[in-house]
Amino acid sequence: MSSYLTLISFFKKYKRFYIWGILSLIAVDALQLAVPEILRRVTDAIQFGTLDRQQLLFYSIVIVVIGLLMMIFRFVWRILIINSSRRMEYELRNEMFDQFLRLSTSYYSKKKTGDLMAHATNDILAVRMAASGGVITLTDALFLNIAAITMMMITTDIRLTFMALIPMPFLAFAIYRFGVAINYRFKNVQQTFSHLTEKVQENISGIRIIKSFSREKDEIQNFDQYNEDLFKQNTNLALLFGTFLPTIQFISSISFFITLIYGTHLVLNHTITLGSFVAFNAYLASMVWSVAVIGFVINILQRGAASMSRINVVMAEKPDIKESEQPIHLKSITGSIRFANVSFQYEPDEALVLKNLHFTLEPGSTLGIMGHTGSGKSTIPALLLRLYDPDEGEVTLDGISLKKLSLESLRQHIGYVEQNSFIFSTTIRENIAFGVEDATQEEVERAANLAGLHQDILLFPKQYDTMVGERGISLSGGQKQRLAIARALLKNPSILILDDALSAVDTQTEEKILEGIQDTIDAKTTMIIAHRISTLKHCDRIMVLDGGEISEHGTHEELLEMNGYYAHQYQQQMLEEEIR
Amino acid sequence: MSSYFEEEKLEKNYDSVLMRRLLRYARPHLLMLIVAVVLLAFTAVAELAQPYLFKIAIDDHINYTEKEYTLDEDQAVYFDHQDSGDSIKVLRQEGHFYLHSVAEENMLSESQIQTLRSEDSRSVLNLGFLLMGIFFAAFFVNFAQVYILNYASNKIVYAIRHDLFSHLQKMSLSFFDEQPVGRLVTRVTNDTETLYEMYTSVLVNLFKDLFLLLGIVIVMLSLNRQLALITFSMIPVILLASYFFRAKIREAYREVRIRLARVNASLNENISGIRTTHVFKREIQQRHSFQALNQELLKANERENFISSIFRPGVELISSLAMALVIYFGGGLVMDQMIEFGVLFAFINYIRQFFQPINNLTEKYNILQSAMASSERIFQLMDRSPAIDDKPDAYRPEMIKGKIEFKNVWFAYKDDEWILKNVSFKVKPGESIAFVGATGAGKTSIINVLARFYDIQHGNILIDGVDIREYSQESLRRHIGIVQQDVFLFSGSIADNISLNQEYGSDVQIENIAREVNAHHFIEKLPQKYHHQVLERGNNFSTGQQQLISFARTLASDPSILILDEATAHIDAETESLIQLAIPRLMKGRTTFAIAHRLSTIQHCNQIIVLHRGGIVEKGHHQELLKQRGYYHKLYQLQYQSNEKKNPVYLHRHQKPPG
Repeated sequence: MSSYLTLISFFKKYKRFYIWGILSLIAVDALQLAVPEILRRVTDAIQFGTLDRQQLLFYSIVIVVIGLLMMIFRFVWRILIINSSRRMEYELRNEMFDQFLRLSTSYYSKKKTGDLMAHATNDILAVRMAASGGVITLTDALFLNIAAITMMMITTDIRLTFMALIPMPFLAFAIYRFGVAINYRFKNVQQTFSHLTEKVQENISGIRIIKSFSREKDEIQNFDQYNEDLFKQNTNLALLFGTFLPTIQFISSISFFITLIYGTHLVLNHTITLGSFVAFNAYLASMVWSVAVIGFVINILQRGAASMSRINVVMAEKPDIKESEQPIHLKSITGSIRFANVSFQYEPDEALVLKNLHFTLEPGSTLGIMGHTGSGKSTIPALLLRLYDPDEGEVTLDGISLKKLSLESLRQHIGYVEQNSFIFSTTIRENIAFGVEDATQEEVERAANLAGLHQDILLFPKQYDTMVGERGISLSGGQKQRLAIARALLKNPSILILDDALSAVDTQTEEKILEGIQDTIDAKTTMIIAHRISTLKHCDRIMVLDGGEISEHGTHEELLEMNGYYAHQYQQQMLEEEIR
Repeated sequence: MSSYFEEEKLEKNYDSVLMRRLLRYARPHLLMLIVAVVLLAFTAVAELAQPYLFKIAIDDHINYTEKEYTLDEDQAVYFDHQDSGDSIKVLRQEGHFYLHSVAEENMLSESQIQTLRSEDSRSVLNLGFLLMGIFFAAFFVNFAQVYILNYASNKIVYAIRHDLFSHLQKMSLSFFDEQPVGRLVTRVTNDTETLYEMYTSVLVNLFKDLFLLLGIVIVMLSLNRQLALITFSMIPVILLASYFFRAKIREAYREVRIRLARVNASLNENISGIRTTHVFKREIQQRHSFQALNQELLKANERENFISSIFRPGVELISSLAMALVIYFGGGLVMDQMIEFGVLFAFINYIRQFFQPINNLTEKYNILQSAMASSERIFQLMDRSPAIDDKPDAYRPEMIKGKIEFKNVWFAYKDDEWILKNVSFKVKPGESIAFVGATGAGKTSIINVLARFYDIQHGNILIDGVDIREYSQESLRRHIGIVQQDVFLFSGSIADNISLNQEYGSDVQIENIAREVNAHHFIEKLPQKYHHQVLERGNNFSTGQQQLISFARTLASDPSILILDEATAHIDAETESLIQLAIPRLMKGRTTFAIAHRLSTIQHCNQIIVLHRGGIVEKGHHQELLKQRGYYHKLYQLQYQSNEKKNPVYLHRHQKPPG
C-alpha cells in the first residue's frame, strides 16, 4: 500500500475537491439513515393510533425533501471526486508519456510494446479505480457502518444490534476472499486469452506453410485446445461469480433471521416497538450493503497498489543517455566524423557488435558500408546519433566528443533513414514535415520530389492530405522508404545516413534519387548502408564489415581487385541486372 | 494492437437477422438454457421472499387485530370454558387483547396472553427457518443456474470461435494477402469474447430482471391493488427519464470510448515509433499532440460524469417519490384499516427492489450494441467463401508418381496483369526442373499455381495426367513439399518444427531426418538439442540454420514432388556447404521444381527454364543452354565461372540427358 505515497502530491493538489466531496458523501449517508427513522415514527404513530393525515403528509414531504437533498449532494460528490480521479488519470498518463519520451532507445529494445501499453492502460485504470471508487466506497461504507450501528443501538436495542451483527465479520471476510480468488482467476482468463491470441496470430502469419504442409486440420485441433482452455478458465471465473452473490445473500440472511426471531421476541415482550423493529430492518439492509462493499474495496485498493508500484518502477527508470551539464550547441557543422577505437555491445552478456572500430569521415565525403546481417552496420549510425553510448572508445563530430554536445543540436544536423522507418498514422504532409516545425508546402514538395515521391503523391485522392493509415499501411514498401527519405531531406541535414533505405525501391528510381540527393546536398557528409552494389559503387570509400570489424575497405575498384566478399556480391548482382 | 485502432466503429443497432443467426448457435443447448431460465425464476422468487415473510410475521403474528387460535392442551388450561382443540377468536385493540368481541369483561389476562403469544413466537421462528431454507436452496439453485448458463454460453462461443477459425483455415492465400493479420486475429479473439459477454451478462440478467419485475408486480397487486397502482404510476416517469437520459449517456459514453481509443492508439504508435521520435528529436511536439488527445479524453470523461451524475441520483429521487407516495396513501389505508400494517412494510421494501431491474434493462443496451457489431463482423467473415474450393468428389490418391505438365498456363494475381503467359513444359516422375530469371519473372508464381495457392485463369496443370483442380487441396499439398525462402518457424521445439505436429514417430526418427539434411550438427550443439525452444519466428537462428530446419521438415513429410525455393540471403560459408550437400539428398527420387541460385543445384536439374516477364525464353539442360549462347550463357559467364573453380565437385557431376 506504500506505493500510493507517490500520489500524495496529487491528493494535496486536489485536497479541496476531496474534502468537500467526502463531506457531501457523508451528508448523503446521513440523509439516507434518516429515512428508517421516519419509518419508525410513522409505524409507531399508527400503532398507538396517534397518526393523522396532516402528519402523514408531513412525513411524506420530508421524504421527498430528503430525496431531493440526497440528489444534490450525490451530484456534488460525484462531480468533485470522480472528476478529480479522472484528472489524476489524465495527469498520470501525461507523466508516463513524458517518461516514455525521456527514456533512451535501449530501454525499448528490452521491453515489449504490449507491456508498456499495459502500464499506460490497465495499471492507470486500476489506480484511478482506487482513487475514485476506492476512496468513495470506503468512506461511504465506513461512515454508514458506524452511523447505522449507532442508530441501531440508540433507537432500537443494544442486544438486538449485537446479535444481528454477528455474521457481519464473516461476510466481510468472505467477500474479501472472493475478491482475491476472482482476481486470480481473472488473471488466468486473461493469460489464456493472450495465449489464444498468440496462437491465432502465429497461425495466420504462417498460413502459407500450414497450407503447404496441409496442416489445417492439425491446426484446428491445436487451436481447439487453446479454445478449450479459455472455455475452462472462463467457466472457472463464472462459477466464482455465480457463488459470490448467493453467498452474500446467505450470510446476510442469517442476520435477518436473527433479527426476525429475536426482534419479534422483543416486540412481543414490549421491549421495543414495532416501529423500531421496522427501522431496524432498514438499518440492517444498509449495513449489509456497506459491509459487502468494504470487502470489495480492500480488493480495489490492493489491485490499485500493485498497479501503482508497477507504474512507480517505470517512472523511476533513468535514461541511459544523459546530456552533459553544459551541452555545446552547434549552429552549424562541417560534418567530419570520427570513430576512435569504438567497441560496443547491446547487452553486457552478449557478443561485441563493434570491435575496436576505427575510421574517420571527411566533411562532404560519402562512405558506403556493406556487410551481412549482424555485422554491426546499423550500430554505426545508432552510435553517431547517440541513441546508444559506446562501451569503449569515442565518437566525435567536428572533433567534439558526442557526449559534450546537446542531443538536440546533434540530431538536428543528422538526417537518418532506416530500412523500416516508422510512419505515423497521419497525413503524408505531416509525416514528411515530422522533423521540421512550420515547413511550407514548397519545402515539403521539394523534399518529396527529391525522394522521387511527388509523382506518387499526386496520384492519391487527397494528395498531400492523404491519411496513410496505421504504420503507413496504405503505402507500398518503396513509397514508405521514399517518404522516410523525404522526411530526412526536409531537415536539410549536414550529415545524411541512408541505412538500407532504398532496398524496396527499384534500381532506376534509386539511381535517380541518389543523383538528386547528390546534386542538392553535394557538400554533405553521407553514409550509405546497403546490400546493392549499384547503390554503393559511387561512394568515395566503401567499408565491408564482418563481425563488428572492417574486413575490406577502399574504393569500388579497389574492392573488386581484392576479390573478396564485395567482389563476390558484385558478380551475383550483375547476373540479375543482365537478365532483366 | 489493432484493436486500439478499431474501437471507433464499435456499435450497431439491434438486427433481427444477426440475432437469429446468433440464436441458431444456441439451439443445441436449448434444453440447458430452458432449465437455467426456470432456475432463474426460482432465484427471483427467493429474492422477493424476505419482505413477504416479514409481512406475514408482522400481520399474522405480531401486529394482528384479529386472529383464530386453535388451543392445545397446555393453552386450554388457561381458559376456563375451553378444551384442547377448540378454536377461539382473539381481537386486539390499542395494545389490549379480547376474546370473541371487544368488551371490558372479555379482556384477556397477562398469563392468557403469554401462552398465546408463545405460539406466535414459535410461528415466527418457523418463518425464520423458512427464510433460511429458501436462501439456502437459492444458494444451490443460483449456483446451478450460473453453472449451466455459463457452460452453455461458453459452449456456444466455443463453437462460434471454432467455426470461425476453421473457416479461416479454408480460405485461400489470396484472401490472406488482402487482410491485415491483426484484423483477423481480432475477429477470432476479441469479437467472439464480446459475444460471450453478451450471452452471459445480457441474456442472464435480462431474464432475471424480467422475472424480478414480474414477481414484484404480481406480489404488489395481490397485496393491495390500489397501492400497487400508485407505485406503478412512477414507471412512466422513470422510463421517460431513462429514454431521455440514456440516449445522452450513450452518446457521451461513446465519445469517451472513441477518445480513449485515440489516446491508446497514439500511445501505442509513439511507443512503437519512439526511435524515430528520438532520431528527429521531436519529443516536445509529440508530447503536445498526445496531451491534446489526452485533454479531449478528460473532457469527454467529465461530460459523461456530468450527465450520469444528474441521471443516477435522479433515478434515486424517483424512488424517493414513490416511497413518499406509498407512505402517504399506504399510511392512510392503514389508518382507515383498509390494509394491515405488514402490507405497507412489504411495499416499502419492494420499492427498493423495484427500480433496479428497470434501470438494468435500459443499461444492457450498450453491451447488446457492441455484441451486434461484433457478430456482424464475425458473420461477414464466415460468409466469405474461399476462392479455391474442392470439388465434391475430389480426387484423393494415396500415392502419386509425380509426372507434371503445364499446358498453356496463363496466370494473373490481379485482372489482366499477366504474371505467367502461356507457359508450357513437362517433367517426368523423379526428374527435376530449374527456373532461372530475374525478380518478377514469374518463378514464384509457378510454385504458387502448382501448389494451387492460386488458381490459374487459362490452361491446365496436370499431375499424373489429372488436372490439379480435380484433386482435393489436402491430398495435392500432401504430396508436394515446399522449401521456402523465408522459413517460417513456429513457436515450439525444434522437433515440433521438423515433425510439424504430425504423429511422427520417435525422436530417433526426427534425428535421422535431421542428419540426412545436415541439420543434426548444429541442433546437437544447442543446450536443449531437439527440444530447444524456437523464439518468436525463429529469430534465434541464422538464415542458413533455418533453411536446414526447413529441409528436415520437408523430408519428414516425404513428398513425391519437391519445390525448392533457395534463399538468396547471405549464408556463412560453413552452413552454405552443408546446404549444398543436403540439396541432392533432398531431391533424390522426387520430381523437383527448383528456383535455384546455386550453380550446383541448377546443374543437377534435368531441365532448365529461363523465364523472362512471365514467358519462357530458353529451355533445355545445362549443356544445351550453354550452346545456345543466350541468357543462360551470359548468366553462366558472369557468375558461375568463378564459382565453378571454387566448387569443382559439382562441376564434374554426371548430368542425365534431359527427357
